[in-house]
Amino acid sequence: MSEQSKKLPKGRSLWSDGIHRLAGHKLAMAGLVVIAAYFLLAAFIYISELCNWKISFLQWGDKIGREYEPPNAKNIIGTDFLGRSVLRKTIYGTKISITVAFLASILSIAIGVPLGAIAGYFRGAVDEIIVWLYTTLSSIPYILLILAFALVLKDKAINLHWAGLGTLELRGIASVYLAMGLTSWVGICRLIRGEVIKHKDREYVLAAKSYGCGDGRIITRHLIPNVFHIVIIDFSLRFVSFIQAEVILSFLGLGEKNSPSWGAMIDTARLDLPKGYWWEMTAATLAIFFISLALNVFGDALRDSLDPKLRIQ
Amino acid sequence: MVSNNGYLLEVNGLKTHFPVRKGLLRRTIGYVKAVDGVSFGIKKGQAFGLVGESGCGKTTVARTITRLIPATAGKVVFDGIDVLSADKNQLQMLHRETSIIFQDPFGSLNPRMTVGGIVGEPLKIQRKLVGRKLMEQVVELLSKVGLSPDHINRYPHEFSGGQRQRIGVARALSLRPKLVICDEPVSALDVSIQSQILNLLKDLQDEFDLTCLFIAHNLAVVEFFCDVVAVMYMGRIVEQAPAEQLYRNPLHPYTRALMSAIPQVDTSRRQQKNKLAGEVPSVFNPPAGCPFNPRCPLAENECLARIPPLKQYGEDKEHFVACWKC
Amino acid sequence: MNNNGTLLSLENVSTHFFTADGIVKAVQNISLKIKKGRTFALVGESGCGKSVTALSVMRLVPHPQGKIAGGKIIFEEKNLLELNEKQMRNVRGNKIAMIFQEPMTSLNPVYTVGNQIAEAIKLHQDKAGWQAKEDAVEMLQKVGIADSQRRINDYPHQMSGGMRQRVMIAMAISCQPKLLIADEPTTALDVTTQAQILDLLDELQQQEKMSILLITHDLGIVAERADDVAVMYASRIAETADSKTLFANPLHPYTQGLLKSLPRLGFTGERLPTVAGIVPDPLHFPSGCKFHPRCPIGCNDERCQTIEPEIRYVAPGHGVACWHAQGYEKITDKQNG
Repeated sequence: MSEQSKKLPKGRSLWSDGIHRLAGHKLAMAGLVVIAAYFLLAAFIYISELCNWKISFLQWGDKIGREYEPPNAKNIIGTDFLGRSVLRKTIYGTKISITVAFLASILSIAIGVPLGAIAGYFRGAVDEIIVWLYTTLSSIPYILLILAFALVLKDKAINLHWAGLGTLELRGIASVYLAMGLTSWVGICRLIRGEVIKHKDREYVLAAKSYGCGDGRIITRHLIPNVFHIVIIDFSLRFVSFIQAEVILSFLGLGEKNSPSWGAMIDTARLDLPKGYWWEMTAATLAIFFISLALNVFGDALRDSLDPKLRIQ
Repeated sequence: MVSNNGYLLEVNGLKTHFPVRKGLLRRTIGYVKAVDGVSFGIKKGQAFGLVGESGCGKTTVARTITRLIPATAGKVVFDGIDVLSADKNQLQMLHRETSIIFQDPFGSLNPRMTVGGIVGEPLKIQRKLVGRKLMEQVVELLSKVGLSPDHINRYPHEFSGGQRQRIGVARALSLRPKLVICDEPVSALDVSIQSQILNLLKDLQDEFDLTCLFIAHNLAVVEFFCDVVAVMYMGRIVEQAPAEQLYRNPLHPYTRALMSAIPQVDTSRRQQKNKLAGEVPSVFNPPAGCPFNPRCPLAENECLARIPPLKQYGEDKEHFVACWKC
Repeated sequence: MNNNGTLLSLENVSTHFFTADGIVKAVQNISLKIKKGRTFALVGESGCGKSVTALSVMRLVPHPQGKIAGGKIIFEEKNLLELNEKQMRNVRGNKIAMIFQEPMTSLNPVYTVGNQIAEAIKLHQDKAGWQAKEDAVEMLQKVGIADSQRRINDYPHQMSGGMRQRVMIAMAISCQPKLLIADEPTTALDVTTQAQILDLLDELQQQEKMSILLITHDLGIVAERADDVAVMYASRIAETADSKTLFANPLHPYTQGLLKSLPRLGFTGERLPTVAGIVPDPLHFPSGCKFHPRCPIGCNDERCQTIEPEIRYVAPGHGVACWHAQGYEKITDKQNG
């Protein structure tokens, strides 16, 4: 028997195993860098607004040149119809897009995972109700559903006094990501439900039941940690769809009105395209393209490295 | 503490039927009679073996008496308590006093929990132990099964099959249960490791004065470990006797066929082969009369008509057999 | 060329796997000879390399992670490792056939069993569809499936494990192979079904005059059914002999330990003899003799800890790889048994 040591050797969990394997995937790491850059930029913008810093490249509202100036040495991506810098607008647009996609993702996970776990674990009547709910929801055309939610929630003030939280005012894009989150949980719910059904009859769950583990603890301590890798993968892939959905919502007039977002930029720029003013459209599209590409590459590599079955035993 | 006759566990007429549903309306069209009238008793400190091939119902018996699966009929009395109609408190007691060691060393441990977490969770839930006290207990349990304290923060996939099974044993003993159910504990292990684990189980049984229900399909393993052995076929016990007696004088044709089908290394022990033709019939559509009759070399009219009850064999108070021809 | 009735000969075959965690030398320098009409058993525990050896003969080692790194596999006077893929396909199923452990996953669930057997026949023999179908019915009868005309149209999931294994055997022998490789053919089956399947293999071997390479971990099966045996441990052969000799006079401590520790009917002791330690991790094999950490002699012997013993034939046909085996020291050069 080895001598007693204060520090017990740390084991290598399946997570750290997966992360190690992911780290070796060069393309995925490059993607991660790009993703991190976008997120950090968005965070930076929030901080600078909170602290009232005046950073030049974030002053998207300033008129810096003539209207519709094409890309030149002074303005790398030219100006828009008000003479504002397209570059600055694109940078600032990161804030909106990342925020919307992030909050919508979190919301859909917060709804989808518990519902999926409960449906998969308890089966029976509970399962039937939840399945009915999401089957109905997902049968309604996605865009119409978001439109409906967003219009209803627009500019509403929700009374949360009963929870001691005052009044929540939904301004601008808040209704958008709420709508997205409330309608997009079906996918993750289905996935979680399927995995939970597979796992709940495994012997380690039976073992837990045999020493008196309650249902709640089984779901939170045993089942969810074993299906959570799906959530992470889904998150990264769903993020892309949310960023792109924001574009569509801007077309429908539901986007952010007071500050630039990529969707809004594309929306105004599409009318300018026939006139030959291509740079604003291109900038916004490229901004979306790169984050989507990075997320897709990273998400795929994530799936391969986190899937426990792909480990060579 | 122990009920009458010194029996810690008494099972009477246990039946576990699974409904088979078909069609659009999910109507029940029949039942899979996994366990169909099983009765036996285990005395305190005894090792009771339940043997049979896959589908005979032995694992279902184990899961029914611990209420992991609902029973269809019958009575189970553990330590004086009626298990099948136990209330919440009694059920918690049942969880504390019984534990199961599972067959699959890979599937029976949560891959996302550390060894310390796995072995300590029963203590956390039932005895509300935390921190240093919990750690001490866990370390002690690990050393009892031959693992070092270094292993506490490691994860199951970092261990071999035999080591994982040891972890499972440590977990099963954490609450110092009275009855341990070993559900094929060595079947999935390498041959050179099986004997290690079997010895370990025997040592622990002595040390903790455990009562064991030992389930296996390997007759040699069961003979080594158990005092009393019952042979199951299609949901019923067809023969039961003290171990040496069963192996010296098997009565039921199925028991005989089972024994002779096991490949033997020792040539001197190779008995006359009792070949079994055919396969185990569908559990959904069992034959009429004795379930063994389609494959039985001795089957006659009575065997096709009525199911033979498990009866004492002659004068021997401990040898039971369910056969019209014995 | 006179080959002493040897059908298949492996000479210093090695197979390696390239994983993210390092190179796994699954099989190292394996040499064995399978004689015509005899059953050769390759026995060992999980991770010893026996299944990989079988896959290497068929050249079905998963690619690119796995690669046959060296040696020769001589079958019918040709080195299988030198054949191109087309020639190899002519060998597989036709001259050498293989059956696997899990009949559920080795049969295609969306085709009837008749279809699958007929496909195997059509691939190697110039037969029309209806002819192949008739042959398939005959095959099913040969492997003991009653009512074969009807069962030809069953799907795998409609059959029991034992029947599926019979179907696998029917597919394998449909082209009358000279060698049948059976990789743990009965491990997933019940004991009583196992006996039937092994009897069937015995019968077919007599009828078709074929050799069988039987891969298993069950020493009982080896004792009852095999003519020649090789015991593998950690990618190498520890001992090889004909079946009777191996069980009567095991020379390698691993073989001895294994035989002693088997739970067997009639054992009266309080505790079973054991082999100490655990099966080594293929990524981190011990130095020297791979068995030394678990060996009662080798764990204290410096030579066993540092130098790996090779196989030497201490008696005709009886080879062992152990410094302390009886008669090992006397043999100075590697004679083939």
